[in-house]
Amino acid sequence: MKEEKKEFSLTADPRVYSAEALRLAAFVFSDRAEVCVKPGKGGLAVSFASAAPGFHPGDFMNEALNQQCRLDLAKKNSKAAGMIATKALLSAAGEKKKA
Amino acid sequence: MAQKNPAKRTSPAGPPQLLWRREGADCLVTNDFGHYAWLKCKDFNLLAAGSLGEKHPKYAELADKGFVRDRLDFEGLAAKWRSKNAYLGTGPGLHILVLTLRCNHKCLYCQSAAAGVGARNADMSVETARKSVDFALQSSNPAITIEFQGGEPLLNWEALKAAVLRARAGAKKAGKQVSLALVSNFSLMTEEKASFLVENEVSVCTSLDGPADLHNRNRLFSGGNSHAATIKWLKYFQERYKHQVPGYRTFKPSALLTVSRYSLGRHKEIIDEYVKHGLEDIFIRPLAPIGYAKKCWGQIGYGAAEFTKFYLASLDYIHKLNRNGTVIREKMAAMMLEKIVNSRDPGYVDARCPCGAAIGQIAYNYNGDLYTCDEGRMVGWEGDDTFRIGNVRADSYRKVMASAATRACVLSSNLESQPDCARCVYKPYCGVCPVYNYEVQGSLWGDMAANDRCGLFKGIFGALFALLKKPGGEAILKKWAGK
Ligand code: SF4
Ligand code: SF4
Repeated sequence: MKEEKKEFSLTADPRVYSAEALRLAAFVFSDRAEVCVKPGKGGLAVSFASAAPGFHPGDFMNEALNQQCRLDLAKKNSKAAGMIATKALLSAAGEKKKA
Repeated sequence: MAQKNPAKRTSPAGPPQLLWRREGADCLVTNDFGHYAWLKCKDFNLLAAGSLGEKHPKYAELADKGFVRDRLDFEGLAAKWRSKNAYLGTGPGLHILVLTLRCNHKCLYCQSAAAGVGARNADMSVETARKSVDFALQSSNPAITIEFQGGEPLLNWEALKAAVLRARAGAKKAGKQVSLALVSNFSLMTEEKASFLVENEVSVCTSLDGPADLHNRNRLFSGGNSHAATIKWLKYFQERYKHQVPGYRTFKPSALLTVSRYSLGRHKEIIDEYVKHGLEDIFIRPLAPIGYAKKCWGQIGYGAAEFTKFYLASLDYIHKLNRNGTVIREKMAAMMLEKIVNSRDPGYVDARCPCGAAIGQIAYNYNGDLYTCDEGRMVGWEGDDTFRIGNVRADSYRKVMASAATRACVLSSNLESQPDCARCVYKPYCGVCPVYNYEVQGSLWGDMAANDRCGLFKGIFGALFALLKKPGGEAILKKWAGK
């Protein structure tokens, strides 16, 4: 028997979640639900349509939190991260980067 | 020249960059240079507050290892960092040529989801094999390994032979050190083929999953007894290794273990089997739910906790054997220890930052398509080309290194950009896998808090550091590193 596709909605606290984090999470979950993020009353309104069996909004919010942490970390660490990535890519391509 | 304003000192000075984890009454601390130290939690608190005085018994060790801000030996620490991360200065070292998708085995976990022996359009042509070797020789890495895989690569002997000869001739011209390796189930090995391989300095590696019943249960072979063929040729290559002759080096054969659900609980028998056949290394690799294995995960897979239990029991048993004088070491531990104990890069492409996808290894599919790694190729086999980085006939080396998939894997496997990893005590030695993340969690980045591969590494590192803390354990484990 096929489980019925479900619809859910929730409001994300804008002090914790940015719209970008929610959109990134929506992309990760694109094979599990159609996610719509819109400004809403008291935060960002997130609605889920055509959710696949087993989908749980809590999993989506975990992913959004993961994305938010990544965005926050990037603000702090992007210089070190960028240096490592650049060195790795240039060396692999056979180009030397001056220190 | 005008003097710059001296930097303002915050008092008391806290430690420089450090990562830590509490384990009962002790704390493990590590830093990006690859140093580690065990501290009592009360001493850790002093270190963190910047009030661990010079007279403290741990001071000298911590100062030497770069944990004391006023005593940083920048040159020494930078040299350590460079040595541990030497891979950042070179290009792909491992080049996997998938000579055929065909195989005469039907292994339960086979990630290459091999085609039947009679399948058409599943072999690499001789021309593509030569082109693949030429492509590999363009790598910016001065020392490369070309590994022949399948399917069962002996089913495409002509391409294998052509690639070996091309590589040997090309290495001289390119001024590169080229190692050649064959991964085979040995069931199609003949004296003539074996001699060609040995004389051309091709090292051989086979699969050995344990004693006959377990091996044959995992590795189904309608043409006979898979275990018997493996052992027969393992012995053959061991004999040739023992009796070196002038003109070429003969390498010791090695074996790969794949841990399926059926292996759990049988660690002693598996390790004994390796010892019995004269193998000095056992690589206890977890199965990953990638490609074909994802489909049958319910039957053959397991969780991080189950694997960690198996791994710890195996390490314990190997330790016991070592104490009794038996020579055998676990390869994953040995590679991690090379980083932990010697601050040297062991060349383990799956646990480094960024991971080796494309920039550390390339998989060459039978049709010339290039993938970030064999795992990326397996995703391609399922119809998703996210990890395809080009084609050996159509694309230049530089284009492949700059492809979208290459860059995406470099960025997403950068631990400095991973929220959990950036603060993790194991970061200096660990790595994440974009293919695993993509297959299991739906994005290249993954979410380490809920990631089983991360859980597995945490279990392995936890076990290794616990053993390093034991006085006797440290001596044995140090011998494993850099062997
Ligand atoms: S993958 Fe896990 S164990 Fe490895 S550095 Fe990241 S958080 Fe730590
Ligand atoms: S993507 Fe995964 S399998 Fe491929 S090189 Fe990176 S860590 Fe290894």
